[in-house]
Amino acid sequence: MQFNTDGNGSNLQSEINITPLVDVVLVLLIIFMVVMPLLMEGYDAHVPRASADVAAQSEESQLVLSIGAAACPILEPPTGEGIPEDCRVTLDDQKIPAGELPARVADILGGQPSEKRVLFLAADDQLNYEGVLRIVDLAKSGVDDLKIEFVAAH
Amino acid sequence: MRLGEPAKMQSSINITPLVDVVLVLLIIFMVMAPQMRRGPDVDLPDTQKPASQGDERGRILVSIDDKGGLWIDEEQVTPENFGEALRAAVGDEPEPKVVLRGDSRLNFQAVRQAMVAIDQAGFQGVGLIAKRAGADAKGK
Repeated sequence: MQFNTDGNGSNLQSEINITPLVDVVLVLLIIFMVVMPLLMEGYDAHVPRASADVAAQSEESQLVLSIGAAACPILEPPTGEGIPEDCRVTLDDQKIPAGELPARVADILGGQPSEKRVLFLAADDQLNYEGVLRIVDLAKSGVDDLKIEFVAAH
Repeated sequence: MRLGEPAKMQSSINITPLVDVVLVLLIIFMVMAPQMRRGPDVDLPDTQKPASQGDERGRILVSIDDKGGLWIDEEQVTPENFGEALRAAVGDEPEPKVVLRGDSRLNFQAVRQAMVAIDQAGFQGVGLIAKRAGADAKGK
């Protein structure tokens, strides 16, 4: 009995079947070749056509977010994730910590129809671009399809 | 000669070299993919939830490098003829969309001026390209 089993054992297939592995690897290869170098992620942003456009809309509820270099001193690329704790921004004439932005923007624009979900962003020219983009990210995380208009800071 | 012997010959193709080659190709593409982007090297800002901007084909790629130099696709342009070069880059594209790859070390002024210049060249809206925080930093 024992010897018989051993004798049969050498006829068993001892190699791993690697055909499925090859399939998976080939598909991965094709995905990387075709898709990877070409996908991008980012934020849609607009610049108002003329200052007259902004003035015309300002009669209605125009939500302005101002980021000043004094209240939110992001002059160098921020380290780590998110934005510094001490960053304070001005939303709708109220100074708030930047961390409250998603909730505040959701409060104000959440009930509006999507074409009125516009945030006018006046960021100081000295600020670091990455810092500004992270604040845009915060504001956008509060409301779906928020439209961002960059206006000149005063 | 025994009768059983021919049946013991190996009849399947040896695919080990094929697997080797394919795995090496895969690794090459994984490593090279971030460097295959058009334009200059730009250290894109890290953000939490960037939205998809589609793929690079059919977009006009405006880049601002860390020195503030302006690029349209692979060519560096001066601020003076930026608008002209941008309109020339459109070609026969029916719905041209401009995306802006700004370096994270820039100040906001450089990016805002580029956005104004893009707007003045007749393109409404730009996509500000970022990379998802935690994604690999190979794009540098």
